Amino acid sequence: MAQPLVKKDDDRDDEEYSPFLGIEKGAVLQEARVFNDPQLDSRRCSQVITKLLYLLNQGETFTKVEATEVFFSVTKLFQSRDIGLRRMVYLIIKELSPSADEVIIVTSSLMKDMNSKTDMYRANAIRVLCRITDGTLLTQIERYLKQAIVDKNPVVASAALVSGIHLLQTNPEIVKRWSNEVQEAVQSRAALVQFHALALLHQIRQNDRLAVSKLVTSLTRGTVRSPLAQCLLIRYTSQVIRESAGNAQMGDRPFYDYLEGCLRHKAEMVIFEAARAITELHGVTTRELTPAITVLQLFLSSSKPVLRFAAVRTLNKVAMTHPMAVTNCNIDMESLISDQNRSIATLAITTLLKTGNESSVDRLMKQITNFMSDIADEFKIVVVEAIRSLCLKFPLKYRALMNFLSNILREEGGFEYKKAIVDSIVILIRDIPDAKESGLLHLCEFIEDCEFTYLSTQILHFLGIEGPKTSDPSKYIRYIYNRVHLENATVRASAVSTLAKFGALVDSLKPRVFILLRRCLFDSDDEVRDRATLYLNTLGGDGSVVETDSDVKDFLFGSLDVPLVNLETSLKNYEASEEPFDINSVPKEIKSQPLAEKKAQSKKPTGLGVTPSAPVSTVDAYEKLLSSIPEFSNFGKLFKSSAPVELTEPETEYAVNVVKHIFDSHVVFQYNCTNTIPEQLLENVIVAVDASEAEEFSEVASKPLASLPYDTPGQTFLAFERPEGVPAVGKFSNTLRFIVKEVDPTTGEAEEDGVEDEYQLEDLEVVPADYILKVPVFNFRNAWESMGPDFERIDEYGLGQRESLTEAVNTVINLLGLQPCEGTEVLASNSRSHTCLLSGVYIGNVKVLVRLSFGIDSSREVAMKLAVRSEDEAVSDAIHEIVGSG
Amino acid sequence: MILAVLFANSEGNILVERFNGVPAEERLHWRSFLVKLGAENLRGVKNEELLVACHKSVYIVYTVLGDVSIYVVGKDEYDELALSEVIFVITSAVKDVCGKPPTERLFLDKYGRICLCLDEIVWKGLLENTEKDRIKRLIRLKPPTEF
Repeated sequence: MAQPLVKKDDDRDDEEYSPFLGIEKGAVLQEARVFNDPQLDSRRCSQVITKLLYLLNQGETFTKVEATEVFFSVTKLFQSRDIGLRRMVYLIIKELSPSADEVIIVTSSLMKDMNSKTDMYRANAIRVLCRITDGTLLTQIERYLKQAIVDKNPVVASAALVSGIHLLQTNPEIVKRWSNEVQEAVQSRAALVQFHALALLHQIRQNDRLAVSKLVTSLTRGTVRSPLAQCLLIRYTSQVIRESAGNAQMGDRPFYDYLEGCLRHKAEMVIFEAARAITELHGVTTRELTPAITVLQLFLSSSKPVLRFAAVRTLNKVAMTHPMAVTNCNIDMESLISDQNRSIATLAITTLLKTGNESSVDRLMKQITNFMSDIADEFKIVVVEAIRSLCLKFPLKYRALMNFLSNILREEGGFEYKKAIVDSIVILIRDIPDAKESGLLHLCEFIEDCEFTYLSTQILHFLGIEGPKTSDPSKYIRYIYNRVHLENATVRASAVSTLAKFGALVDSLKPRVFILLRRCLFDSDDEVRDRATLYLNTLGGDGSVVETDSDVKDFLFGSLDVPLVNLETSLKNYEASEEPFDINSVPKEIKSQPLAEKKAQSKKPTGLGVTPSAPVSTVDAYEKLLSSIPEFSNFGKLFKSSAPVELTEPETEYAVNVVKHIFDSHVVFQYNCTNTIPEQLLENVIVAVDASEAEEFSEVASKPLASLPYDTPGQTFLAFERPEGVPAVGKFSNTLRFIVKEVDPTTGEAEEDGVEDEYQLEDLEVVPADYILKVPVFNFRNAWESMGPDFERIDEYGLGQRESLTEAVNTVINLLGLQPCEGTEVLASNSRSHTCLLSGVYIGNVKVLVRLSFGIDSSREVAMKLAVRSEDEAVSDAIHEIVGSG
Repeated sequence: MILAVLFANSEGNILVERFNGVPAEERLHWRSFLVKLGAENLRGVKNEELLVACHKSVYIVYTVLGDVSIYVVGKDEYDELALSEVIFVITSAVKDVCGKPPTERLFLDKYGRICLCLDEIVWKGLLENTEKDRIKRLIRLKPPTEF
């Protein structure tokens, strides 16, 4: 931080300077005793209150006792008739925010003021009462508040309305009773009253779409007096447009004229609000967008930074969805790169990076290079992320962009910034094969002088995976081995692992890698020596040029097939004994996480954090798990495992999800259970299934879970037989059955006796899509041609009235469970027709290709043509059947 | 929601800080962040010239008035434009109370009144009054003139 954050008076020599010089809480509290004087000195009392405010405004806090004492003294000041003092009293009571049991002292005085003939006493008393009141008191004063809302004095009305907005959070049922009065206040001639009333009325009615729509319709036709209220109205109008979008007929969008009219309002605030509302319209057309972009463009050259910022911020958002619409503003934005305000400059740059075309990349990069040196890390990260997207958009420009990234990687910067650059380089290496070798070398150079252990180890890991696959792996060895000499133990250990990977994959390098690994046996750190020993032994042989066993490669490159969290829990629970720790005892199922966490994780892929082979390893893990259970060992090869289907609501006592494993003539349900009650131990856990709505399935085996302690996930299984090769479908109702035992929370020991109990779970369905594997093809046309028309089946279907074409396309994709190819699952906005290409493998290992052509008419009726090609006639028919019955 | 209104002197020492809906443990972070922002950008800026920044989904509009720098922080509906309205009201009210862009001493001399003005302008994170003349009357418990 640039400046010391000491209180104002601590560092001043000039004694005359501050009226609060040497102010000290204890002394001020002493002074507050003047409030108790029989002859009140109003001036002095005001001064003391000012001092109290000064202390509070500086973040000083009063203890409960101190605050109570001051509060009680302050209440005495209601005796004074001095108007200035009364105003201060209102303020200090709010600041002291007395506790519920103290409020009573002051309520009678405030109630009296609330009924005073002096308007301003009324307004202030309302504000104070509403700040300190609770529900019971509120019912007592409700009558007065309702009157106040329609008071002739705008200050009184505003006080009551703003209080209403606050009280709605704590006592909604009371405030909702005021809607008639609030409705009246919306029509007020006083601008601010209308603003506050509109805000409150909308909050009261926000869940009633029809009411909001009526409110918007009447106000957009009437007069709105303040720009602030106008902004609110625009926001509510957008909401109405959004919600009615599903029902709107084709043609002009309702309220668009109103929004467009607001672009000519005299208040800038209103213009911006309208422009933003237009740009955020769902499926906005170029024609609708143009007037908004034009006004925003004018603001780009405004002399006021706030307006420039607002304009470029809005355009930046538009550029994400409609880059072409923003290109007209590119020249204005280029001049903003040198804007003194760095927030504006960063937004301008990142917008340009989104709207620029391939030919402007080089010029833009030149400008950015100068710009990067004088902005803060947080802005730099934004720029790096924009450059990453640009490079993925124009892969041919990778050289210039990669060079730029490697240059900024060499410059000064904090961890987050460096991590953003490294992540970007890694993503580019993964997505642009040509960029691989130069990218890896940039990373190698970076770790030569990298101060962040985390980044060094991550890069070394990445090098171990990608480096051996390059044309000349030997050139990386030097960089890696240097780490063994120059770095801390963590990095050295990583370097040893990376060396071993090179040794395992590149046979010609093996002898040299062995020499290097042997040198690591003398390292000062245990972990480094242990790793070197381990790898020398596992790689085996004497370091001659021989091929490495595939088992060893699996060991080096495969993932640990247990979740680390579970391993950690098991290791913590393991007590040292004769019996060695058995990794097979670690549960393999990942604990299901709260929804919010899942969303956060799936937000966007980050560079080093991504394991490219993640889906494959899940299938492998399932296969291993199932084959280890004797009852299921004769089911043959696992065809498909579904994603987990939740059978419980989030945050219930027991969390259960199920994975459907499909075999040739069997289906296994793997129920993943978690007990979230610390005081319970569950035993003999099994899911009882009623398969009466799944006639073709018969239960053949089950595997109960012996024990389910708190917070340690476990699995129970159930196997069904079904006719071979037939994609049987059905519905299964599930009940979790178990014996529950109380656990003493202090000792963690469970009681001897338990009680049988059960817990209802959601139903589970086996659907046609379960029999189809998503397998992409990289060139659909080639695949389609080479499959030939022998078993082609074509038919047309009417899908009825649909919300949108996108919705119809997604429904069919989900129904079939096939893999969309070549990005055809994404539709251009407002498109009237679309072709979607799908591929996959049907049970029995039959390849399937599907071509879907959709069309939508003005009444939103969707028609679809389905063409299927496969290696088996029956399978082509089956796909049509799925659509026909879905 | 207007999350914070903060006044600091030219050295970055806090004169007034009022937070709404900001957890106590985050206030110190905000205080240092704002003061740093001012130290980096406010030098040489003219009185009442508005500067703007955003930090995550939060907007900050700040300016200088005499010896005092003023920061207003908001989110959601209080975006940079609404905040510039808020800060405009605040600067007008402060100028009105002090009679001119204040020196630090003058600001502290009028401290009580400035607190009253802020009380009229921001009511627990919501903008309540916007006209300086009305505010001037309200802090003396006088009804607005137009009434």
